[in-house]
Amino acid sequence: MVAVPDMDSLVNPQQRQFNPYTENGGTILAIAGADFTVIAGDTRQSEGYSIQTRYAPKVFRLTDKAVLAVNGFAADGNMFVKKVKQRLEWYRHAHAKDMPLRAIARLIQTMLYARRFFPFYVYNILGGIEDDGTGAVYSFDPVGSYERETCRAAGAAQSLVQPFLDNQIYFKNQLAAPGMSHPTHLPLPDVLSIVIDSFTSATERHIEVGDGLEMYVVLAKGRGLGGMEAIGGVQELSERTEGERLFVVRRELKKD
Amino acid sequence: MDVSFALTGKGYVLVAADTTAARSIVKMKGDEDKIKSLGPHLLMAYSGEPGDTVNFAEYIERNIRLYQIRNLYPLRPPSAASWIRRSLADSLRSRSPYSVNLLLGGYDTSTYTPHLYWIDYLGTMATVPFAAHGYGSYFALSLLDRYHDPEAPLEEGLATLKRCIDEVSKRLVVAPGKYKVKVVDKDGIREVEL
Amino acid sequence: MSIMEYNGGSVIAMVGKNCVAVASDLRLGNQALTVATNFEKVFPITDRIYLGMSGLATDVTTLRETFRYRVNMYTIKEERDIEPEAFAHLVSSTLYERRFGPFFIEPVIAGLSKTSSGAFRPYIAGADLIGCLNFAKDFVVAGTASEKMFGVAEGLWEPDLEPEDLFETISQTLLNSVDRDAYSGWGAIVHVITPEQVITRTLKARMD
Repeated sequence: MVAVPDMDSLVNPQQRQFNPYTENGGTILAIAGADFTVIAGDTRQSEGYSIQTRYAPKVFRLTDKAVLAVNGFAADGNMFVKKVKQRLEWYRHAHAKDMPLRAIARLIQTMLYARRFFPFYVYNILGGIEDDGTGAVYSFDPVGSYERETCRAAGAAQSLVQPFLDNQIYFKNQLAAPGMSHPTHLPLPDVLSIVIDSFTSATERHIEVGDGLEMYVVLAKGRGLGGMEAIGGVQELSERTEGERLFVVRRELKKD
Repeated sequence: MDVSFALTGKGYVLVAADTTAARSIVKMKGDEDKIKSLGPHLLMAYSGEPGDTVNFAEYIERNIRLYQIRNLYPLRPPSAASWIRRSLADSLRSRSPYSVNLLLGGYDTSTYTPHLYWIDYLGTMATVPFAAHGYGSYFALSLLDRYHDPEAPLEEGLATLKRCIDEVSKRLVVAPGKYKVKVVDKDGIREVEL
Repeated sequence: MSIMEYNGGSVIAMVGKNCVAVASDLRLGNQALTVATNFEKVFPITDRIYLGMSGLATDVTTLRETFRYRVNMYTIKEERDIEPEAFAHLVSSTLYERRFGPFFIEPVIAGLSKTSSGAFRPYIAGADLIGCLNFAKDFVVAGTASEKMFGVAEGLWEPDLEPEDLFETISQTLLNSVDRDAYSGWGAIVHVITPEQVITRTLKARMD
């Protein structure tokens, strides 16, 4: 039988809307040291109360000295990383070297702002080593506003993790011992424990965080492995061992 | 559109309120007294929904007076404030709530201390060194943060109050033209000219 | 605009070794406008029980008066101080009385309860605005900075903290959380309850 539209739907105006975005949960985090940077993210991908997968990476190697973490709408995130990687490859072909970190940061701003009126619904955190050999973290909003920082959390558990980082990395609300001052950068083992603590805490109290943890560690040129030896399950990702070195450390997080 | 301020100083509380009674865009009256004396040492500036304000203020005034007649002594400022706050809080969850905001200034004659309470129509009460209600609060509070001194003599307090009124006159589009200013201290209540 | 966030403010309670701590910020606001910076949200109930309330400020004051009255009546009838467990249920039933027109507050209860051996056992509990109790073993939070406090407390808290260490833990948790919350802050007050005494300290904090 052919459905006859009722009078109501003919008389009253009808509106339909397609929502091109969704939120896929998860949290990312990056901390810069004096000559290293740690960029981390959990691997759970969810939509509402459903877990889509327990392993969907949010942290990506761009070059041997640059790592990008993306969080928000996963489809946009993956597409954005793909496009950044493509631009970096073109750069390599044109200039026969990897793009410097600060240039990647500016490139990401341009690429995000190019989509000002149909944005990539993604919060980006870029971590790596600057040309001067210092560890650096750049954080972005979805339309490209960015700044260089020492540490930044983003995503579902940002509000749980960021104040903890303020306290543990920036020593906010803590007085230094008399005649002493707070360090501007922490050693690698300390940073790794803070990252692990942040994610276990976020997993405990946030339903969208958990399953697995991926921590990328970028070491400055000639730095040596100081602080990495004690950690188990390290995998090296760098293509050359003479330049900056890149490692990934994988950990399990609670799956409930 | 009512504007009211109050601030404490050394042994006194200053309370100021504008004197316009308006309905929609029409100014009905330019010399309305919106500060009631609730006792020998207690002042209440009221603002809010026209009609509610005077009715509620008179209800409070009569009951505070009744307490004084029954007990032969007036309620001290903290107790009066608690009772008035409770009246508003109960009213909020009644069938017809009062929309009245209050500044309650008093001088406690047994502890020789000035008291100031900020109370809104919900029954939110705060003990404060200075306070404001209405659009004036957006201009006056930052000035009072900078210039208020709880140990200031009366002249200095009046100068600070004048700063607030002048700023509101300068920057607020719907600024009232005239204010009534009253002071309460150990000698009781009196009106002062700015 | 949420009624629970109209005035702003946060409270937290934590368990330690033979002690408990409860703390609140001091801000009272009207949405974004700060009206007072001395508005305490934690009140003594007995020598060993403190009650914190976050939410709509008028209800905080009203319920403080209600609980003072009801605890006084309990003390007179029973001829003894109320225990934290009983008080938590008193809070719960008082809130549930208004099931369909609630008081807009979230309570946090912290106290030491007397065991049959005469020793004291730390006790904390939280509840939602209609009185659904949450008996936590570690910490409870409420207010506009509650998410932040969950995150920081989960990272800083550990079991069996001594009173001074518990004080530091709860203070750092609250301070760093309210510094990331526009609706809370402007100072804090902390109470640490031990069998011997209650240590109360007022903390300075950022004023932005």
